Order: sequence, then C-alpha cells, then structure tokens
Amino acid sequence: MNENNVTCKEVMSHICDSLGEELDSPKCVAIKNHLDECPDCRQYFNSVEKTIEFYKLYNLEFNPDAHNRLMNILGLED
Amino acid sequence: MNEEEIIESAKTGDRKAMALLVKSYEKTIYNFAFKICRNPERAENIMQETFLSMVKSLNQFDGKSKLSTWLYRIVANHCLMEVRKNKHQFVSTDDNEDGFYENNFASDWNLEPQNILENNELKKILDDAITKLSPDYRIVFLLRDVQGLSTEETGEITELSVPAVKSRLHRARAFLRKELNEAFKR
Repeated sequence: MNENNVTCKEVMSHICDSLGEELDSPKCVAIKNHLDECPDCRQYFNSVEKTIEFYKLYNLEFNPDAHNRLMNILGLED
Repeated sequence: MNEEEIIESAKTGDRKAMALLVKSYEKTIYNFAFKICRNPERAENIMQETFLSMVKSLNQFDGKSKLSTWLYRIVANHCLMEVRKNKHQFVSTDDNEDGFYENNFASDWNLEPQNILENNELKKILDDAITKLSPDYRIVFLLRDVQGLSTEETGEITELSVPAVKSRLHRARAFLRKELNEAFKR
C-alpha cells in the first residue's frame, strides 16, 4: 500500500485541516484525490461544510434600540 | 482616519472616536455573543459588558493584536464565566471519538443555508446542537469557522496552542455535524 493512500476514517480525521489550511502536502493531496473518488467521504465533507455555513448565516438583526441602549450605558449618546 | 488613529484619539478621551469604535464592532460583537449563548437578551448584556470593558481599559490596549481580537477575548471571557455555571449540561467532547463518525448518510442535507432565517425549525435544530457542545469547544468553532479568524488568532484568544485549537475544532465540527445529521433524519 502506498504510504499516501488513505482510508475514509483518515480523511475524516483530517477534515479539520482540509477545510481551513493549505493542502499542498502529499498526504493532503492524497486526501483530496480520495475525496474525488469516495462518495461517502465527499458527502461527509460537504455536510461538515454545510454545518459551518448554517452557523455562519444564522445571525440576528441588530436593532436600533439595542444600539441606543448601548450608547446610553456607555455615555456616548449622539 | 484609519482604525489605529481612531483608537489613539479614543484613548485621549475623544468621545466621537470612542463612539466610532463602538459602532464599527457592535453588530459583530452582538452576533458573536449570541452565537455563543444563543439568547438575544444575554447577548445584548454581554455586548454591553464587553464595550464597558473596552471603554474602561482601552488605554491598556497595546495594538500588538487587532482590536477585534482583543474584543473577542473579552466576549469569550464574559460568555465562559456565564455558561460554565451550567457546565454539567454539556456533552463531553473527550468521549470516544469514534462515536462522532457514522457512515449513515440517509439524512436530508439538501436544505439551503441561505434560507435559514426563514426556517424556525432549522434554527431550533442549530440552537439545540450547539448548546450541547461544551463552551470551550463552542468558542473555538465559532472563532475559527464562523468568524473566520486564523488558527493562530483563535489560539491567542482562547490561550490554546495551535494543535489544541485544531483538535478542538475538529471535534466540534464532527460533533455538530453528527447532531445535525441525526436531527435531519427525523
């Protein structure tokens, strides 16, 4: 077995790096290649990305009253 | 004026400069606090505490890190103090890691993230999942993945090494993904 061959479990344990870091090491290139060929890992990877996206987009509207209360507390009213 | 000049003016007591700094970061800080504590009222309280700390201690800000990093640290400390009071309710992410992985992909992941604000059921699923995650892991996930800070900045704020940030991030992602996967099956 080539040392750069990876299993699904290994791909999953490297998802941290593969989502946020440079992917130029031989191991990471092998992971990318594995993702291209393994539908299960690709689906897992996509679902992790979607998880992050959900939390990124889940924001509350910051209403003007909250702004006014804040400036009042800080003594910085207009 | 750039931010550095605004900070220097604010340090000398310029109220307009201080107000400018508050306005620049209030939405970000409010939403970051909400994402940690998942409660709009508590998020507003934490935001107010954070800016009170900023106004009081801006003279101690040495400019070696970004102002945003400094503010995130204050928010994180306030939130951690609060949520640790209820620590017993969180799932331990130190448990058997194999439990985070599952080969069952039957769940429906076709929901579009863009529609989240119109989907109260999805918002509840997201709230429920992240509130089960221990706050130490939650903050790493939110800083690194959601706020988009670097691994190094996340480590600086949480006082963790880079490998520790990566490890917590990995576990937090796997945990949240598993929670959502289970919720989407229902």
